[in-house]
Amino acid sequence: MSESLPVPKNPLQVADDKYSALLASDVQGPRVVFRGTISTVNPAVILNPFVDAVHGELARLGQKRIRVDLRELEFCNSSGFKSFIHWIERIGSLPEAKRYTLHFLSNPARKWQRTSLLALSCYGVNSVSME
Amino acid sequence: MPEMIPEPRQPVYLMLRMKPPWVFIDEIRRFVESFCACACAVAANRESQLALAVHELMQNAVPHSHDEEVDLVLEVDPDADRVEVAVTNRCTEAEFQSLKERVARMNSEPDALRHYLAEMSTSPATVRGGLGLARVRFEAQLALSVSRSGGRVTVHASGALRAPALKIPGGSNV
Repeated sequence: MSESLPVPKNPLQVADDKYSALLASDVQGPRVVFRGTISTVNPAVILNPFVDAVHGELARLGQKRIRVDLRELEFCNSSGFKSFIHWIERIGSLPEAKRYTLHFLSNPARKWQRTSLLALSCYGVNSVSME
Repeated sequence: MPEMIPEPRQPVYLMLRMKPPWVFIDEIRRFVESFCACACAVAANRESQLALAVHELMQNAVPHSHDEEVDLVLEVDPDADRVEVAVTNRCTEAEFQSLKERVARMNSEPDALRHYLAEMSTSPATVRGGLGLARVRFEAQLALSVSRSGGRVTVHASGALRAPALKIPGGSNV
């Protein structure tokens, strides 16, 4: 029988050895912050439930735009990248009036972010913007 | 006054042999980025793209290495305007054929972005793998091929040192 992962106490805040993610809020509204290095074998095990929880919260609040802060994210492997794809797909599955956009905040010193976000913006043409 | 002819620059290469575990791949990526920042000084942004390629190829190789060594060779040739990353690991004939077919399928789509987007939409979100090679091809702007020798497979990723800015249809450049 496979061992199930412990259910996090706060699904809007997760962490693994090398990275963390949380839903924060400031005067500009909600902001999802990713920090560290996402490079484990299958980060989707932790990140997809987090994305689902954030998605549920944003849909409940009726948000139209969420900032996704990658400025302190050193690296994200392709398996972790899938969680952002999963997020775009969750947004796409909402009725059009309830959809919101992901506005990515990137770090110019982390040059991989620009190319990865460029590709992601092509995948989620109406769901993704970046600065 | 006689015309100044620049001296030819030697190709630079790095060879690294590693035995898993996985956890050291982050360290190798950081080292490669730093190494390439010196070796690829003539090509802006190339160091991060090559580091990304090394990371993805190593993360593909380590789980399939049958607990044997994984070899990395990185070559930078400024005069030939060429870079190559080669990652080698032990593999069975069946694993090699499967990988060879995947790379052939990928290369049958000439548009790297189109292939990458197709992989994004078809690769299951909850299962690891399936996106790394497409990411290397598009984001690192490297052509991929595979070869096999002595029971070991090598994934070759090669391209121009001075790669053009990435372009997307109707969008911005990076």
